[in-house]
Amino acid sequence: MRDMRKSGTISPVAFLATVALTFAAVQTRAAELDEVRARGMLVWAADQEGGGPHVFPDADAPGQLTGFEVELAGMIAAELGVKARFQQGQWDRLPLLLGRSVDCVINGIELLPERKRDYRCSRPYYAYALQLVARRDGPIDDLEKLGAPGPGGRWRVGALTGSAAEALLRSRHDLEVDVIGYDGTIDSLEQVQSGVIDAALMDDCIFNFYADRFAELRAAGRPFGGGYYTVLTAHDTPRLAVAIDEAIGRIVADGRLKTLYDRWDLAGRQQVLALRDAAEIPAADRRSFARLAAEAMPMLLASAGMTVLLACLAFPLAVVVGLGIALGRLHGPPALQPLLAAYVEVVRGTPLMLQLYAIFFLLPKVGLALPALVAAIAGLALNYSAYESEIYRAGLKAVPTGQLEAALALGMTKWQALRHVIVPQAVRLVMPPVTNDFIAMFKDTSVCSAITVIELTKRYSVLALSTGRIVELAVVTALLYLAMSWPLSILSRRFESRQERAA
Amino acid sequence: MIAVTGLTKARGGVTALADVDLEVRPGEVTAIVGPSGSGKSTLLRCVNGLETFDAGSVCIAGHQLAPGPQPPRLLERVRRDAGMVFQQFNLFANLSAVDNVALAPRVVAGMATEEARRRAIGLLDRVGLASFAAARPGTLSGGQQQRVAIARALAMEPKVILFDEPTSALDPAMSEEVLEVIVDLARGGQTMVVVTHDHALARRTATQVVELIAGRITRLGPPAAVLAG
Repeated sequence: MRDMRKSGTISPVAFLATVALTFAAVQTRAAELDEVRARGMLVWAADQEGGGPHVFPDADAPGQLTGFEVELAGMIAAELGVKARFQQGQWDRLPLLLGRSVDCVINGIELLPERKRDYRCSRPYYAYALQLVARRDGPIDDLEKLGAPGPGGRWRVGALTGSAAEALLRSRHDLEVDVIGYDGTIDSLEQVQSGVIDAALMDDCIFNFYADRFAELRAAGRPFGGGYYTVLTAHDTPRLAVAIDEAIGRIVADGRLKTLYDRWDLAGRQQVLALRDAAEIPAADRRSFARLAAEAMPMLLASAGMTVLLACLAFPLAVVVGLGIALGRLHGPPALQPLLAAYVEVVRGTPLMLQLYAIFFLLPKVGLALPALVAAIAGLALNYSAYESEIYRAGLKAVPTGQLEAALALGMTKWQALRHVIVPQAVRLVMPPVTNDFIAMFKDTSVCSAITVIELTKRYSVLALSTGRIVELAVVTALLYLAMSWPLSILSRRFESRQERAA
Repeated sequence: MIAVTGLTKARGGVTALADVDLEVRPGEVTAIVGPSGSGKSTLLRCVNGLETFDAGSVCIAGHQLAPGPQPPRLLERVRRDAGMVFQQFNLFANLSAVDNVALAPRVVAGMATEEARRRAIGLLDRVGLASFAAARPGTLSGGQQQRVAIARALAMEPKVILFDEPTSALDPAMSEEVLEVIVDLARGGQTMVVVTHDHALARRTATQVVELIAGRITRLGPPAAVLAG
């Protein structure tokens, strides 16, 4: 995460390279039906963190997966005359695995027009509706309640990032909601329960499955809208796709799907009736890049604004705390010094991601529920304060001892000497490395997407995957990052040359 | 003004000062001379508490210093009454000449900023540097820096000024600039202790000269007597 801190402007370059590699991987040819049969194995991808009832670890047999899609994948594989093998992936990136190690994706992927541009969608195997979930003791009992602002202003509603539920919330401009994207639906339920957000929107089957675990939550209104789940395959495996379509057709027709869904308590007869006639797949969505860029630009700019906001609020905090730690370690009470050293080691020695998780998901359990933005700023400031303290410690030690002696010899207290003489000189000495860290923080803000803060990288990732314009949008995003880091690089160089002149 | 009695200090098992007795009366200028490593600077730094000592006592401007670490409050009072000028000047690199002089009156004595600056410019004028008030230390010559450092020490109106090799880092021309300032102060009755190995400096400013060799006082008396041999 911090490996690129040596040079401030490398981040967009590395970013592009990563994206190009991902893109290249998508282009490799996928295994066709005969190859799948020859190896005797259908590799299907899903995200077990997505949870039930789709795919999740079996409570009775740790290490084993269960879920209705695990069984469905087994049935489809059996229809093809092969065994099914599971491959783990992050949900909103599952399609990118196609053609690499994976033959198909079976994981509650909604059948949407834009998906058809890049992937082959099978006939549907499940009809879902959307369910709004809120606290039992709260005011939200229906989606329409969100049409007027709540007591705290706009409602905060969570949804799985990249899901149809998220897309629907973002398109409903008549609702007074701020949409919070989560990497897992269970995370959003946890956050509704702890009061961090007001409600969550998800596929009905998910809440049906977890309703007992979240006893304080209720279904707010009837399920609505929705669509179908589809099996994704790559475009260049048409015969595999047809075989999967035929397999689903047979599983629906002979009643095995009904039996499966009955066992998972997923549906009654209306599921089967809906699916019997739902072989039709919507046409692909094709937009010009100019139109897409025009539509995406306001969102990218707003997310770049979030990146700037996070860095500009967190970094000054980190600097102040870091300087305090450095002063405490060099000049504070001896009893305090090992504590501060331990703080620096612990914070430096653990990943930023983990610290953000602890602040955002664990603190609410002890009664301190911070809004995501506050948690993100606190996490970044906490993490960077350890690094800044080390820089300031070096800077303070680099000021000649004669400066402190001269100040003391005039009758100043140690703190007066530090404040008026030593710290101002140390601050000037460390300006280049501190500016460099400021640039580094712009990149690290992307980790905050793990706690639902949507900044530039996350927005890019969502837009790129939902539209398929992976490279074009990457260029736009990289330019935005460059626009942020370049002025800081120039500033840093100016400080350095000024120091060289002064020396 | 200063009474040093039986001052003894060892550093790393080596004797730095051995049973040093010294008295400095108000208005006197005492020069401490001797070879490098003889303990001259150490003696001076014990007097204003920049270093601790092992035995004996120091009485300075009515404050009593005992062996070992001393309370910060006591040291701050001692140092308000005893200004110090260093061999390497040690001007505050982050401040202009006038702010170097004005800082302590403002921070330590609580003087208003405008008043402190006004007085600082007066002191810079006294050492001949009024036109360099806004200059950064790095842009001044060594002699100019040392004169600013003297003005800085004077700003606290100390009862005694301690000079630690004030001309050793300067070439002869610059030494002369600084020497003239010190001579001028002596003429004004300022009590001073000057550590130096520059005999010309000692001869022209001192009322008494102390010779220190290997941490012991070997000779003490008027300049003509001590410096002749």
